[in-house]
Amino acid sequence: MGYSTKIMDYPKSIWIVIHREADITRSIFESQRMAQSLGFDHGRAQMIATAVSELARNIIKYAQKGKIIITPLNERRRSGIEIICQDTGPGIPNVDQAMEDYFSSSGTLGLGLPGVKRMMDEFEITSIVNQGTKVIIRKWL
Amino acid sequence: MMSNFYTSDAGDMRNAATLQTLYKISEEDIQYIRGLGEFMLPQMDHMVHTWYEWLMTQPEYEQFFADSRALHHAQKMQHIYWEQFIEAQLDDNYVESRRKIGETHARIGLSMTIFFAGMSIFHDLFSKIMAQRNLKLKEQVRTIDAVSKLLHLDTGIVCEVYTIMSNETITAQSRSLMEMSTPVTQIWENILLLPVVGIVDSKRAQDIMNAVLSAINRTQSRIFILDISGVAVVDTAVANHLIKITKATRLMGCESTISGISPAIAQTMIELGIDVGTIKTTANMMDALNDSFRSLNLQIHKVER
Ligand SMILES: Nc1ncnc2c1ncn2[C@@H]1O[C@H](COP(=O)(O)OP(=O)(O)OP(=O)(O)O)[C@@H](O)[C@H]1O
Ligand SMILES: [Mg+2]
Repeated sequence: MGYSTKIMDYPKSIWIVIHREADITRSIFESQRMAQSLGFDHGRAQMIATAVSELARNIIKYAQKGKIIITPLNERRRSGIEIICQDTGPGIPNVDQAMEDYFSSSGTLGLGLPGVKRMMDEFEITSIVNQGTKVIIRKWL
Repeated sequence: MMSNFYTSDAGDMRNAATLQTLYKISEEDIQYIRGLGEFMLPQMDHMVHTWYEWLMTQPEYEQFFADSRALHHAQKMQHIYWEQFIEAQLDDNYVESRRKIGETHARIGLSMTIFFAGMSIFHDLFSKIMAQRNLKLKEQVRTIDAVSKLLHLDTGIVCEVYTIMSNETITAQSRSLMEMSTPVTQIWENILLLPVVGIVDSKRAQDIMNAVLSAINRTQSRIFILDISGVAVVDTAVANHLIKITKATRLMGCESTISGISPAIAQTMIELGIDVGTIKTTANMMDALNDSFRSLNLQIHKVER
């Protein structure tokens, strides 16, 4: 899978290796901090941080470890924030099903992925069984 | 051969053999370094002494070596360090000893800048002493190269441990900050209050659960107000924990109210699709308190004086 993310492509990004619960905390704080510094108001920054927390938790829960890349987006006419969450875990056999409300393979609420999609402006997910999962989310100012 | 300071998974813990390959230190390099022994060991006192003359020009000297015992100890350790260096027995004991040095530097708060500079000064001293030796230029260059590689390996290990230790301090600090703040308080007869600040992870949620249930048991309170206005994020996992806590208190005959639902938290919960069911929620703690007084048939009056 084309998961080779190069550091040169993301000069202003923050990279966070996720492999224990404390890393979730860090990803929450870093995404909230970057969102606020980009000009997102408190409420929207909290929403972004919540989305990141949700995806980071999925990494720990289903793939044990992975990484999160938080990037400020500055296009000519708009700016925003992008977060890539990727792991090389078991992958999701049925992505459509995983995106449904209340679907959970682990008996929890099953609202994480669909909730993240609702909270963000853009949401892309690619997952291959036995290779891993990559979620890219964006929110524009 | 593991001491507990670096069992952490926060850093790079490659073993000696892997590090040796990583730094491309060949058997030949090792032979060159060992070959230094005969010439270098008698000059060790001089070298360490010269190095301390340099350190003396730095503010760190006063800070760490004002006490002559500390100075003496450090010099002794440095002798051992360079003896090990020249022996170049690149095994896990060697790596361990370098990690200990990193740990010491981190503990006393000696900066990486002074550490790197110090290693560079040593490198320079090595080269100068080497130059006094009647070696062919090629031999001399090969020896200095070998010394550089091992110095870099040493420096890398120290730097790594330094980073790990700093990260662990930060983690420990934030953990203790979080743990400080689960004080369930009986603010009125029958009413318990707990304001939660920061991150709610699974351990924290369990702490809150335990603290609340034992407070209910102790005080027989009938109302529990859980204020989450200071919680960083409410995601599905946090919501799940909160729902479980309220269910557990209800089983013990104590109704929970979750207060401090800010506009941001309310919107996030809606977007996530979290259904709080029959759990009572309020925007702020004051509303929760007013409701509690009402349901306990209590009234607060202003007294005329
Ligand atoms: N990174 C991942 N790797 C493998 N499987 C995943 C990953 N993320 C999600 N899944 C799968 O997708 C399902 C839906 O995920 P989602 O986050 O929506 O719900 P959940 O994690 O089960 O519950 P909740 O997030 O509400 O606590 C999961 O149950 C899991 O089977
Ligand atoms: Mg989830």
